[in-house]
Amino acid sequence: MDSLKLLWMSTGLANFELGQVIMMLVGCGLLYLAIARNFEPLLLVPMGFGAILTNIPAAGFSEVGGLLHYIYYAGIDTGIFPLLIFMGVGAMTDFGALIANPKTLLLGAAAQFGIFATLFGAIALNFVGLDFSMKDASAIAIIGGADGPTAIFLASKLAPDLLGAIAVAAYSYMALVPIIQPPIMRALTTEDERKIEMAQLRHVTKVEKIIFPLGVLMMTIFFLPAATPLVGMFCLGNLMRECGVVDRLSSTAQNELINIVTIFLGLGVGSKLSADQFLNAKTLGILALGAVAFSIGTAAGLLMAKLMNKFAKEKVNPLIGAAGVSAVPMAARVANKVGLEANPHNFLLMHAMGPNVAGVLGSAVAAGILLALVG
Amino acid sequence: MENLQQLFIEAGTLMLAGMVFVFTFLGLLIIFINVVLVKLAKKFPDAIVESRSSSKKNNKKQDDKAVSPAVVAAISCAVTQYRQQHSAQK
Repeated sequence: MDSLKLLWMSTGLANFELGQVIMMLVGCGLLYLAIARNFEPLLLVPMGFGAILTNIPAAGFSEVGGLLHYIYYAGIDTGIFPLLIFMGVGAMTDFGALIANPKTLLLGAAAQFGIFATLFGAIALNFVGLDFSMKDASAIAIIGGADGPTAIFLASKLAPDLLGAIAVAAYSYMALVPIIQPPIMRALTTEDERKIEMAQLRHVTKVEKIIFPLGVLMMTIFFLPAATPLVGMFCLGNLMRECGVVDRLSSTAQNELINIVTIFLGLGVGSKLSADQFLNAKTLGILALGAVAFSIGTAAGLLMAKLMNKFAKEKVNPLIGAAGVSAVPMAARVANKVGLEANPHNFLLMHAMGPNVAGVLGSAVAAGILLALVG
Repeated sequence: MENLQQLFIEAGTLMLAGMVFVFTFLGLLIIFINVVLVKLAKKFPDAIVESRSSSKKNNKKQDDKAVSPAVVAAISCAVTQYRQQHSAQK
């Protein structure tokens, strides 16, 4: 009889707590979004599954000795996984459009306003009883950078307890860019502005593309060493892509390596989706703030483009300003799509890639500033 | 409450400093591109552009060789034959 009782006590059914069941359902929800809705499936599938695994009672996935525990501490707590991903993103990024039209960097800079405005929002939530410290607020604000690895890197350094909610918010909103951005883009621009056609981009030489990542790294070393982990890995990936002598390494960074690390990163983030860390009012606050951050970033990019049109001779289509909130290449595609609606012969995709990759640099710089000032 | 006010002031300073820094950093990058990279591009133009034009010339030669009148005649003959067969079937 005793052994039967012992057997029953070792089953999942006897040990389930309500929070664990709810978090498993959240994990299933993430799997549904990934598989049925195709929302960032590469990350949401391992993340959703990680959420299910970490909430299995009596299995101890996230306790000392458990698989997810070690994945988290080896890769995310140390910051290694997001940085490796960033190297892969660098190897996938073509700075050609940005070098050909450097003033689009200003659009990428303006869109970072979403990050810093959200900082205010997070602190303001202290009025309604949520207890966000400056570090928490900074980690939440980086969602506005629309850059998954940057958000995870910063959250793991500043607010590891909120990492799960921040990663879920960042990736869900990145998937929702095609839904969140177009209404804001239409509201802030006139039909005529959306029709503006831009001059064809000049040819960018190989030497320029090779020197660019080195120049960016040099400037980061001089002015913001706190951002060098992110910017350095990004530039390494980009240099491998452009130098043309290490095609094998470049291909590994943007395919096999990034895929392998994505599996572990997803599982590691999923391990933070435990009931005690996720099922509270803070998560709701983070989800709300994430949407606000995205919207403000989009609006700031658009308004900056309109401001530039007031002074510059060569007009910029303000829609490409919205692509300043990184989310590569989704935001650029959205700008292209909304532009085509207004003028079916106006292809903005290449022009929008400029502010888009500028946004990646901008959010890495913003993360460095937050790390240097708050961390 | 005072603590909150302090946090707000801190957030405001961070916002101001952050935005100024982001703009300065990316602004310096614009100068870097316009000054250094553009000069470099003029000094070291892409070899690919030249090879492209030379490959175009080669292509032209190849094209001339490839589409000889005999081949054109053979193809048009085959097409008319096919069309005739096709219409006969209909």
